[in-house]
Amino acid sequence: MMPELTASAGAPRIAAIEHPFGMTLGRPGDVAGQLEVLRATLRAMETMAERSGVIHLPFEWTSTEKLALGPTEPPPIAKYLVRHPWAFSRFLNRTPPANSG
Amino acid sequence: MQPTKTIDSYRFVDGIAKKVLKRWAALPGETQTPWTALARPLSECTVALVSSAAIALKSDRPFDSEIERRDPWFADPSYRVLPRTVRTGDIQVCHLHINRTFAEQDLNSVLPVERLSELAERGEIGAAAPSNYSYMGYTLRPERLLRESVPSMVRQLREEHVDIVMLIPV
Repeated sequence: MMPELTASAGAPRIAAIEHPFGMTLGRPGDVAGQLEVLRATLRAMETMAERSGVIHLPFEWTSTEKLALGPTEPPPIAKYLVRHPWAFSRFLNRTPPANSG
Repeated sequence: MQPTKTIDSYRFVDGIAKKVLKRWAALPGETQTPWTALARPLSECTVALVSSAAIALKSDRPFDSEIERRDPWFADPSYRVLPRTVRTGDIQVCHLHINRTFAEQDLNSVLPVERLSELAERGEIGAAAPSNYSYMGYTLRPERLLRESVPSMVRQLREEHVDIVMLIPV
């Protein structure tokens, strides 16, 4: 979905697809579509002969409907950043406070 | 054959999320990328799936969302095992950053267990692995996930002689 982000995590082979969050393999109930995506991903994997290879899968998400892709309520980090906007730079740079976790 | 395509990674994200994700993608990342050449044809490979959607069996304990509510930089570092026979009605999705309803309507939208078994039945892969896995993909402190959960998953993958692991983001 975001090959640049996946590559930064050190994935050895990447098949990139332009699908919305929450529907990586395709729409609920779209058996044929899901099968095609899975098949194409595995076949792409077979063809990649060098580490860090990226193949962009050809599937088009053609729907123009506005999808509700986010959660029904803001996640905890979003609520936290609204209350503590000065922490946004930490979030942007992925440098959480030392006392977290 | 469909025409070639270069995907738009940010097509489905809005202003602030787009800014954050672009920034994260540009940060220094892993310097070591593992590599193992495929040892056998796909039709002889055992394939397992790993989802970052924080999926748990209803019969199992859910991912602990209170961890993230107490410390929004962190999330439950554990993982769950999802057997090959798992179906949509067997699972709960615990991820706090996505619309969970798509996966709750059809697990295969994010973890294509039935599709994988179908490929095995057709002989396109050797076998669908007995076990698949899920963890919580959002955390800015992945140390415990990497130190505790990942080695345990790897151990089980090896015990089940898995050749290919498909990591599926959500």
